[in-house]
Formats: sequence, structure tokens, C-alpha cells
Amino acid sequence: MPNQGAATLTDRRQFLEHWGGGLGWIALAQLLGREAGAAQAPAGGGLHHPARAKRVVQLFMSGAASQCDMYDYKPLLIERNGQEFDPGGTVELFQSSPGPVMRSPWDWKQHGDSGKWMSSLVPHLAGCVDHMAFFPSMVSKSNVHGPATFMQNSGFVLPGFPSMGAWISYGLGALTDELPSFVVLPDARGFAPNGPGNHTAAFLPAQHQGTMIRAGRENPIHDLFPPASADFVTPESERDGLALLERLNRRHLASRGGDSRLEARIQAYEMAARLQVTAPQVLDISGESAATKKLYGIDEPITQDFGLRCLTARRLLERGVRFVQVWSGADNGFPRRNWDSHEDIRKDHGAMGTEMDKPAAALIRDLEARGLLEDTIVYWTTEFGRMPCSQGTLGRDHNPFTFTSWLAGGGVRGGTVYGSSDEWSYKAADKPIYCYDLHATVLHLLGIDHTRLTFRHNGIDRRLTDVHGEVITDVLA
Amino acid sequence: MPLLLAAAPSEAPDYSSSIQPLLTARCIACHPSSGGQAGLSLAGHADVLRGGNSGAAVVPGDPSASLLLRRVSGESPEMPPVGEPLTPSQVALLERWIAAGAPHGAENDGAPDETWWSFRALVRPSVPKPESAWGANPIDRFIAARLAENGLSPSRPADRTTLIRRLSFNLHGLPPSPAEVDAFVNDRSPDAYQRLVDRLLASPRYGERWGRHWLDVAHYGESHGYDKDKARRNSWPYRDYVIESFNRDKPYARFIREQIAGDVLWPAEPDGLIATGFVAAGPWDYVGHAELREGTKDKKLARLLDRDDMVAATMSSFTSLTVHCARCHDHKFDPIQQADYYALQAVFAGVDRAEQPYFQDPETHARGRRLWLAIGKAEAALRPFLRQIEEGSGEEVQRIDEQKSALNQESTDLLPKVGEIDTPESIARRKEIFGLIKQLEAERKALALAAMSAADRERYSELSEQLDALNAEFAALPGPKYVYSAANYFKTHGRFIPSGEPRPVYLLAKGSVESPQQLARPGAVTAVAGLEARFGIDSAQGEGAARAALAAWLAHRDNPLTWRSIANRVWHYHFGRGLVETPNDFGRMGAMPTHPALLDWLASEVRDSGGSLKHLHRLILLSASYRQSSTERSDQAKIDAGNQFLWRMNRTRLDAEAVRDSVLAVAGQIDLQMGGPSAEHFFFKDDHSPVYDYTRFDFSSAAARRRGVYRFLVRSVQDPFMESLDCADPSLLVPKRNSTLTAIQALALLNDPLMIGQARHFADRLRAVSTESAERLRHGIRLAYGRSASDSEVTALAEYSDQHGLESAARLLFNGNEFIFVD
Repeated sequence: MPNQGAATLTDRRQFLEHWGGGLGWIALAQLLGREAGAAQAPAGGGLHHPARAKRVVQLFMSGAASQCDMYDYKPLLIERNGQEFDPGGTVELFQSSPGPVMRSPWDWKQHGDSGKWMSSLVPHLAGCVDHMAFFPSMVSKSNVHGPATFMQNSGFVLPGFPSMGAWISYGLGALTDELPSFVVLPDARGFAPNGPGNHTAAFLPAQHQGTMIRAGRENPIHDLFPPASADFVTPESERDGLALLERLNRRHLASRGGDSRLEARIQAYEMAARLQVTAPQVLDISGESAATKKLYGIDEPITQDFGLRCLTARRLLERGVRFVQVWSGADNGFPRRNWDSHEDIRKDHGAMGTEMDKPAAALIRDLEARGLLEDTIVYWTTEFGRMPCSQGTLGRDHNPFTFTSWLAGGGVRGGTVYGSSDEWSYKAADKPIYCYDLHATVLHLLGIDHTRLTFRHNGIDRRLTDVHGEVITDVLA
Repeated sequence: MPLLLAAAPSEAPDYSSSIQPLLTARCIACHPSSGGQAGLSLAGHADVLRGGNSGAAVVPGDPSASLLLRRVSGESPEMPPVGEPLTPSQVALLERWIAAGAPHGAENDGAPDETWWSFRALVRPSVPKPESAWGANPIDRFIAARLAENGLSPSRPADRTTLIRRLSFNLHGLPPSPAEVDAFVNDRSPDAYQRLVDRLLASPRYGERWGRHWLDVAHYGESHGYDKDKARRNSWPYRDYVIESFNRDKPYARFIREQIAGDVLWPAEPDGLIATGFVAAGPWDYVGHAELREGTKDKKLARLLDRDDMVAATMSSFTSLTVHCARCHDHKFDPIQQADYYALQAVFAGVDRAEQPYFQDPETHARGRRLWLAIGKAEAALRPFLRQIEEGSGEEVQRIDEQKSALNQESTDLLPKVGEIDTPESIARRKEIFGLIKQLEAERKALALAAMSAADRERYSELSEQLDALNAEFAALPGPKYVYSAANYFKTHGRFIPSGEPRPVYLLAKGSVESPQQLARPGAVTAVAGLEARFGIDSAQGEGAARAALAAWLAHRDNPLTWRSIANRVWHYHFGRGLVETPNDFGRMGAMPTHPALLDWLASEVRDSGGSLKHLHRLILLSASYRQSSTERSDQAKIDAGNQFLWRMNRTRLDAEAVRDSVLAVAGQIDLQMGGPSAEHFFFKDDHSPVYDYTRFDFSSAAARRRGVYRFLVRSVQDPFMESLDCADPSLLVPKRNSTLTAIQALALLNDPLMIGQARHFADRLRAVSTESAERLRHGIRLAYGRSASDSEVTALAEYSDQHGLESAARLLFNGNEFIFVD
């Protein structure tokens, strides 16, 4: 029979739009994150109490973004620049012996009604400070990228635990039947340390794991469409084939009543067809205005990748994805392609910061303009911070003792700062907190009591927050 | 103080099995171990007695004076503030407990515990008397008794077509060929089924299928995980060892002992060493071990977690206990003390995960092993001298170091920058510098030697000569191969240095490396009655003695956990669900056995048959229980919808490997070559964090056609096709697989390049059968579903094939529910 090849992809999508909608969608909701065993979310939102937010976008800075070059202003570093770093006690660093105090190469100014100090590395985010709640006293339990990145994602310094997005998907289910509930947008340069292990569902059911979407690829979702080599596949063969498959499956089911899995699998194929329609729609930004694209910096090479992914995140969120994780930076290799600036803060943080700042700010602005910010949480984080002293002459080593994360949006009191680091930005001083507390707070805003979102695995009722976590009520709006 | 759990109603309820679980379920959310409402914690026995801001929560012996009881009882109880009030029986339970003096009970005092089912001595139960003609096999009598108790009845036997497909997938993970189906269906001899079982058990495909189950349990992976997820290209000998052990029906006790301490117990057998790949199977933090400096907190943490993984894997796999819950405190629910946990950590205190040489020839292996360990000892003895030399002191040394660093800097500066071209002058100078540095290093060493005492110098040169001689002798041995296994000695890699003597292990308060308490001595779980829980090993007996002692403890005839654990696992893989539904947890947080007597009977059978798993398979497979139809019966489902009493067979979804292997088998493409290095289904590029890209793989290559058990298992990036089918995550201990049905899975089965390519091969195979579409598809159904086709489905498929091509029809057959489910 004649084959029409790859040119038929668009046709197939068009056909699926017609065909897909014509099928029965009964009980589809049960398939997408609302399977038996998952906690049932009431219609009004929260699982344990009324929710302030419905969805989350997490911006994850891979490699350890420096708090003292963006958010954590310390005049002492300017005053003592180049002098011996002597905060008292032994300073235990990851790679090096502590060099002299090093001021940030960027200047500092106060911004917004809240007067928050921000460095000139993040001028666009500086314009959003009144939406943001800062946590400059974050502490990590590990000084090593792999374990620390696991910790920020899953609350454990080990592989094999579900990521925050998976927990939220498990707890709340999906808002849509057309897209996965937890989507991950990896950096175009590659995966962060630990790879996709960072967004695993681990022991939670597989539908809660982060589905990677990679714009620009032939298959933005793995196996979304047949490979180009599948020249025997045509829109007609797909249409007739899926219809026949359903007929055969129903025949098989007829003599095997009482097994809901057989029906569920029939519906999984309907959903798959649906996803083939919606995923390309989400990724097609041709309908976005020039102003929007400019806002995200898609017109400039340096902000293009992160900007496109932040815009994609917004498009996913507005179509009902529960949790979107956007990565800034890949692994810790050379030349530097993430925030792990051991050698040269000015150069490497300069590039990463510029890539990130404008799109991240655009995301807040855009969500706000569309009325989505009020029930969407923007959660910016990294695995640990960097030292206020120098490494080599221009770089900074790891700092697990203090770093900064921030929240914005749904239910978050903007223009606030919770806790503080010491005068050096070396150690958390006032109200030290861990990711457990931030995770607990985000879950709280979503209407989830973090101590009650559990899953029993190998003898333990596991939680995102392990046995820790306090909701930080001071930053709740 | 062992507590009698079989308590009469008047006796005190057990705190850890009854009271704490109730408090945990209903109260602990607001009253956790710290920062709870009203200053009250209900997280542990001491907390409950301590009380909160309002005073004592419990007055032992006086229920009416106990605030806790008052708050949760009465007309409209104050507590809990959300959700249903406690049930009257829960309130009564609390009342009885308080009235009895609110005892702590037997929780973790370390005494042997025979109160919990899994800790009780294993005594062979008598087989129930037959009450009906159904089932001649003892298993059936246990099953029939429980069915009768619950008003249920067994199902009719499945037909032969169903049975052979069920058996083939269950034992081989592959579909039966049409010829095999025909032969069995037409075999009228009375022992046809038994011979089929025997034939399947004798095939090497059996070990591949069941070995894979064990690899799930052992969390076997072939890369480190974490950041810098380096490939372990020499792990596969352990995988082959597991497959071979199943195929040879290795006695289970021996299988245990080899995996924990085979290197010590059978030093002349390469398998002894290879088996300890079990200890090394889990993830490993490369940065933590090879880059962090000695003495840092993170280094200690990396080691703690590394040993934790070994302990958790060992005890979960062999005893189904969750001892890892006792890292920070005594186990909250089971009689496992924190001291037991650190005793287990001490067992593994002298081993790391690394490559070790082995030799095929036993005599050479024994010799090579001795030399290897001697080299380790010699290096350890030499290390202080080398450190002394490296450190150096004095003005001369300082001058040399300054010169060296200046030369190094010059060399670095001479390297061409991005966009520059290297010049001959620069290359020549860099070469010269290299020579100068060598010269300086020799000078520096001479200085350091001169600074040593004469005795030290002599000892140093003696040790160096010894080491050289040992190395030379080792190098002369013919062709070592390497396996990634438990290792006391290994080649130093960065800051990853062999421990030599076992590292001291301390009990850690709250599991924190910053709060070491008393030194821990090798041992196991005290609550297992009749076995010595502290091994009394001292370091003079060598590193391996503690592992050998643990191996003996685990494999002991009188260890009731071991035999129950393996019997339950085998049952789980035959029926899709264990008699205990939590195969890795036989504690109070785990499930109770649905058929305790049957479990004990099966456990006794394994133990008393010399640990033969094939014996156990035969018993189970020949039972009428296993041979039941899986068809739903609504009258039975009303009583037992979940089929826990087995009134029918469970229908199962094929697991990831079985799906993949079946696709290849049905397409006529499967490569049944056994063993050897793993098939890499990805593009690999070594880097800081290596790249494993599954989208850049040639699915028409030979590697794609190997069985799933032989694929290379990466931790950080799993094969998305296999992941969509719930393959085991090698970072997790996987006692049972998930079995999801998702849209992503449907897409994988429709569109993965593997599926597209195999659909072509399947179509080609069918073309060779006939020129008629109908005949082709009739054969296709026999191949894919193991049964004859009906005319109507053949017509529909043939019509589809004529219109859209045979490849499309072949692809469709792979996607049918019938392909992925087994009745």
C-alpha cells in the first residue's frame, strides 16, 4: 500500500482532533492520577483543608546558585573584600581551603515597596520582589551535588524516593485528562546531576513520575509519535487500527468480566491518542504574541532556551498540569553548563543569571496578567549555596550552611523575608530551615497536610518531608 | 522481657502493636515528636507518659484520671478535631491499656521475641484433612480449608491452552510456540502436565526468568547512581551467577552464604567472590567516596549511607525485616534495637564496592586471591611512609614545591586557548617542563628519605621490595577477569582508599554522624530466638569473619524468617501476590499472612528439602490451586473481591522484560545467547556525568535482540520503554513490581522504535507462512496469543492488513490486551 511518510504527522494530528473527541471519555478521570489507592482530592481543591493554590511551577537551579551574588546582601563582604575570611571555627569546604573574602562582582540596590536588596545580576526579578517571599536561611544536609539535589527534590539524600511533583500528583491527581499531571522541562544542554532520577515517582505508581517534554525534538515526549522510519503508519492506518484494536480488546474483555484493568487499558489508548493532539498544541507557541515572546526573551539567544521553557510551563499550567519543573543548568561538567561556578563567578554566574533572570520574571508577570498567579505557586530553588570567600581567585566553593530559595504566587505573602543568614552569608543565623519546611509550606498552600500525605513502602509510611517539616506560617498571605 | 502477645482480653494490649499504631494513625499529625499542639507529643511511649502543657496525658492504672482518654471519649469527643471520632473498641483498647498501667511492653528490649508470627520458630504444621475431592496436593488442602472457612469454593481447572501459556510466562517469561501448544494440548498421557512442568524447569530460560526476580530484590544495577553516574562494566558476572544458581537449583542456604561471604567461605571458587556482587549491587556515591576528604562530615555520611544500603538490602532480601528503620532510633514497631542495626553495620565495616580480580581456574583463583589481599596488606603497611614522603618538610622541600608549582603554572599557561593553535615551541617547552618536574620529584623523594630515621628507611625499602615482588607475582598470573563486588582491598581511586582493618562503627544517636556513642560489634537481630545475635568476632579474625558469621546466622536452619521469606517470594511470583502481601516486611507494619499454616508448611518444605526451590516450584505448579481458571465468578467475588483466599487464579499483566522478550520472540528475532557483558540499549558518552541516551540507539543492532535480563541497567537514566512498563528501579529494593496501565505505556507499545522494527519482522515472518492474508493472521494470532484464531477476528485483521499493510496488523497484535495479560 502507498505510504505517505513523515509529512502525514500534521494530518494525523488533525485527524486525531476529530476522531479523538468522538470517543467515549467515560471514567477517563480515573486513569489520570485518580487511580484506586491515590488519595482523592475533593472537588474544591485541598486534600486536607481548603487550598490556596492549585498548581506549582518549580524553577530548579542546578549546580548551586550563589545566594550572596543575587539575593543575600552583606555589606561586610564589600567592606572586607580581599581580607582573610575568618568567621570563627573551622571552615570545612567541599574542594578547597577558604580563600579571602570576595564581594559580589554585581552591585546591590533596594527594590519595590518592600525595599528588598537585589543584585544587578537579576534586574528583572528585582522588579518582582513584592510578589516574592525569600528564605535566606536555607540549610542543606549534604555538601555534594548528587545527594543535595536529591534532597531538594525528594527530601532524602538518597536515590529512590519520589520527587515533590510526584507526591503532589499522587495527592491531588490531575486537573486535566489531556496532559500528565507532572511535567519536567530539562535544560537543552542536558540533565542535572542524578539525571531523571530527580523526578522519579520511585515507589509511587508510574503515572506520577515526571514526564519529560522536550520542545524541538521529533518526539517531544518519548514515543509520542512513531519514528520517521515507521513509513507504514498513516493517519488512516492509525484511525482504523485503533478502532480495530478497541474492538478486539472489547471482545477479549467480554469473556473476562470483572477485571477493571482490561477496561482501563482500553482507555489508556484513548488517552494516548488525546495526548498526541494536546502535546503538540501546548508546544506550538505560534499563537503567542510578539510581546509575550519578547517578555520571556525568546527573541534573544541567551534567554531563548530558558525563556521558551518558562513560556511552555505557563502553557502547561493553564491547561491543567499540576506541577511543572523547569531546570536551569545541566550537570557539573566543563565547560561550565550550570551554576557550579568554582572557577569564575563573574563569568559563569553571569551567564546563568542572565539566562534565568528575564524569563523567570516574565513567568511571574505573565501568570499575574492572566490571573493565574493567585493560585499558582512559583518555587525557585537550588541544591545549596556558595561561599562568601573565594576559591582560586574568582570562584566560590559549595555552601550547604546557608542558601536562598523563594516562593511567589498562590497564597504567598509577597515582599517578605523569612529568617536570615549571618553577617557573612556563610551560615544560617535566624530561623534556619530545610527544604522540609518549604515542602511542607507548599503542600499546605495546596491544601495538603504534609504529615498525612503518606505511602507505605518496605515497612515505612513514607512522606515527602520524612519525619520533619514545619509550615512557615509567617509567609502565608 | 518477652511479652505474651496471645493475650486474653483482660490483659494489657501491646503498646507497640496496638497502642502506638492507633496514636500514629489518629493523633500524631498534631502531636508529633516535636513542636506538637499543646506541647504534647504522642510519638513514643515516653512522650505519652511525659504529657504536655495540660499535664500528664496518661495516669497509669487510672483511666478516668487520664486526660488522653477523656479527650477522645464521651458523647462528642474533643479529639481528634478532624475526621471520625475513635471507635468504641479503640477507646476501650486505650482504657484497658491505661488500666493495666500503660505498660511499655516488650518493645525493643532485645529479648527474643516469639510473640510476632514471623519470629516464631518454624514448625512444620500438619496438613488439613481433605474435606472434598478437590486437590490431592497438600497445598490444595490448606487452600481448601481457608476457602471453606470463608464460604468460598475453588474454580474449575483452566484449559490446556491457558495452562501452557501461564506456565511458559511464569517459568520462562516467554510465550509458548504454536508447536509446543499443540503438543501439550494433544498429549493424552496422564502425566502430560507434570512433564511440561519438568521440561520448563529444566530449561535455562527458567534461570533467566527467576534470576531476574532475584535481581529486583537485590536492587542490582550497573551504574553508581547519584551525580557522576559512572558505568559498572564488570557487574554482569554477578547477574550470570544468579541465573546459573537458579538453573542449577543451588541449595538456598548456600546461595545466601555465597552472596554475603562467598569470598571468605570458598576462597578457591571464583563463584564465591562473584556472588558478593550482591553486597555491591546497590547505588554508590562516587563524589562522596572518591572526592571528599577523609574526616569531613559528608565523607562520614557517604560511608554511613553506603553501609546502610548493604544492611537494608541484606536484611530485606533474606529475612524480610525492615532493620533500616532502626538507624535513628529503636524500631518503632518491631523488636529491632538500634544496637542491632549498628551491629549489622559493623558486619560490613571492612567492605566497599569495587572491582576485584577472579580467575576461572580454581587453583589460580585461590592463589590470585591470596596475592591480591597480600598486596592490599603491603600497600597499607607502606601507606604511612608514602604519606611521610609526600608531606615532606624543610626549606629544601618548600623550594622544590615552589619550583614545581611555577613550572606547572607555566605549562598550563602554554596550553592553547580556545581558538588558538598549538605551536611546536610550546609543545617542546611543555615536554621539557614535564622532564624537569619528574627530576624535581625525584629530588624531593630523596630528600624525604634522607630525613627519615635509618630504621624507617630500611623498613620502607623492605616493604617496597615486598610489594614489588607481590605485584610481579600477581602480574604473572594468566588473565584475571574482574567483577564488581564486595571488596576489602581494591585499587585506590582518588580519595577512595581501602580501609584495611574494618572501620570503627559507632552507634549514632538519632542516626547522626556527629553524635557517635558506643562502639558497635558485629552481630544481627537479637529478637530472633535461638541464634547468637552478637558474633564475638574481633578484628584479629580478619574482615571476612563477621560476614561469614552473618551468613551463617541468615542461612541457619533455625532462622524462621529466612525460610518464610523465600517461600513467600516464590509464592508471590507464581500467584502475583504473596501469602504475605509485603514480601520485604514481615513486621507489624507489613501485611499478615493470609494462610499462615500454608506459609509455614512451604517454608518447612524448602528448608527440609535441602533448600531446593525447584522442589517448591513443583509442589506449587502441580497443585490444583495454581491450575484454576482465572475467570471471574460473581458469587465468590461478593465474598472475596480481592481473591485473597484464591478461589480463582489471578490474571497478571506481563512485566517489562516479559513484554520485551515476547515481542522479540513472536517476531522471530530473539537472541537466546546467555550471559556475558550487558547489552547497552543506549548511546554512551563518558563525561563528568556520563551521557546515556536511549533515543540514539540502533534498534536493528544485535544488542537489541538479547533478552531483557541482559540489558545494561543504568540508575540515573532508565530505559523509558522499560520504565513505562514498571521495570525495577535499581535504586530501590523491589520486592514486587508495580503494574500500571498508562497513556505513556500505550504510546511506548505503539510507537517505540523497538516495536516498529519488530512489527516489520513479525510481518516478514507471517509473509513466509502463506500468500493469503487470512492464513498469515491466523498464524499471527497463534504466535502472539498462543491459541487458535476465530474466523471473525481473522477476517477483521485480514481486511485491515489488506488496506494498511501487514506491518500495521502485526503492530496491532502486539498492542492487544491479550498480548500483555495472562489468564
